[in-house]
Amino acid sequence: MTRMTQADRIRSDFTTLTWVMIPVAIAINIAVGQLIYALKVPLYLDSIGTVLVGVLAGPWAGALTGLLANLIWGLSGLNVTYAPFAAVAAVIGLLAGLFGEAGWLRTWWKVILAGIITGLVAATISAPISAYVFGGVTGAGTDALVAIFRGIGLGILPASFAQGVSSDPLDKTITYLVVWLIVRALPGRFLDRFPRAENVR
Amino acid sequence: MSSYAAFSLYVARESGLHRLHPLTKLALTGFCLFASLVLPGAWATYAAFGVILLPLAAWGQVLPLLLRAAWRTVLPFALSLFLIQGFFWTGGTPVLALGPLSLKREGVLFAIQSTGRILLIVSSFLLLSLSTRPDALMIALSQRGVPTGIAYIILATIQIVPRFQAKAATILDAQRSRGLETEGHLRQRFRALLPLIKPLVLGSIVDIEERAIALEARAFSRRGPKTSLLVLVDSPAQAAVRWLLLLAALALLAARLFRAI
Repeated sequence: MTRMTQADRIRSDFTTLTWVMIPVAIAINIAVGQLIYALKVPLYLDSIGTVLVGVLAGPWAGALTGLLANLIWGLSGLNVTYAPFAAVAAVIGLLAGLFGEAGWLRTWWKVILAGIITGLVAATISAPISAYVFGGVTGAGTDALVAIFRGIGLGILPASFAQGVSSDPLDKTITYLVVWLIVRALPGRFLDRFPRAENVR
Repeated sequence: MSSYAAFSLYVARESGLHRLHPLTKLALTGFCLFASLVLPGAWATYAAFGVILLPLAAWGQVLPLLLRAAWRTVLPFALSLFLIQGFFWTGGTPVLALGPLSLKREGVLFAIQSTGRILLIVSSFLLLSLSTRPDALMIALSQRGVPTGIAYIILATIQIVPRFQAKAATILDAQRSRGLETEGHLRQRFRALLPLIKPLVLGSIVDIEERAIALEARAFSRRGPKTSLLVLVDSPAQAAVRWLLLLAALALLAARLFRAI
């Protein structure tokens, strides 16, 4: 077998199965978001589909899933405020692909570590967007945290970052654990059809 | 396409705004997004909202819908902004004291400015989604060279999300009827997460293969041009408007930079 270049690798990730999986993954993000809303737990868990694509179809497919998930959510008119965070979602998908490639989805403690790192990175990139576009608030319950951080004298950007750091790592760790459990529950025959099945075997 | 069956706010109307080429409306949304980020001062974004978006929404016969959706989205942000940035502004000039807290002038101005920015962004997205069929927008984008795979993802998502939402509601009901506790203490609700999420995700991943076979049978991965049943109408005047919007955005940026120097 000849060595694959990066471009060949990306092309081989985008099979018809991958193209079909991306809208399903975005719909999973949205439908799980609805379940979380019904349960009233203080989490988002709106990247389960994105992380799943990253792990099973590579970093670029994961990044595309995250990017389009937020743009569609925004352009549908139903959750407009998600659109400016499309870049954050893309990075979450990209990271999932890289952690998958590194084999981190095979061991439970590496799964947790991947979740924590993703949460920290997501908090770092969303803080400037939140501070500049939304004045540092989220319009949701997590704003109680923003109020506390502003109250102890943090600036708008640091308060927004501190809010992210106190909620994102837990959220992304649970996301990764759910993805890990799902991948382990899928039959091997089925997993083998995905371009990056070797990431989780 | 009715608005409730698809994951989209689109409402069919016989209006000039609806008949505009999707790219013209997309260019307007892009312009408003850009303007909201570079317009200086606290009030300019409200002026842009009143002068550009409100008349267009009225022309498109979607003004009440736009106002209602914008109100619902912007209000929580506005409340948070006034409460948090107004009362917890570091330093600043107090204008109103409430017990140990005081409302700061700078914080209120910042809240007004941020709310205006959010209002302009949200309303411009809403105007686009209320007046543009998602499939027409996708065809317009693929005609300009956006890969058809991207258009497929967006359209397929819009179609399957309502089905997934219905599936999520069914799973919630089914698990509750089997005795799953979805209310009560936080720990109990956390324990309900996995029994709800797992069937939803596993069930949907398993259909992926069937969907892929269905697409392959319809020449999805074939290269070359494809024919569409939906014909889009463009005009030189609209192309001119799109260029003008781009120039106006550049002019705003230049004005902002010039002022900064």
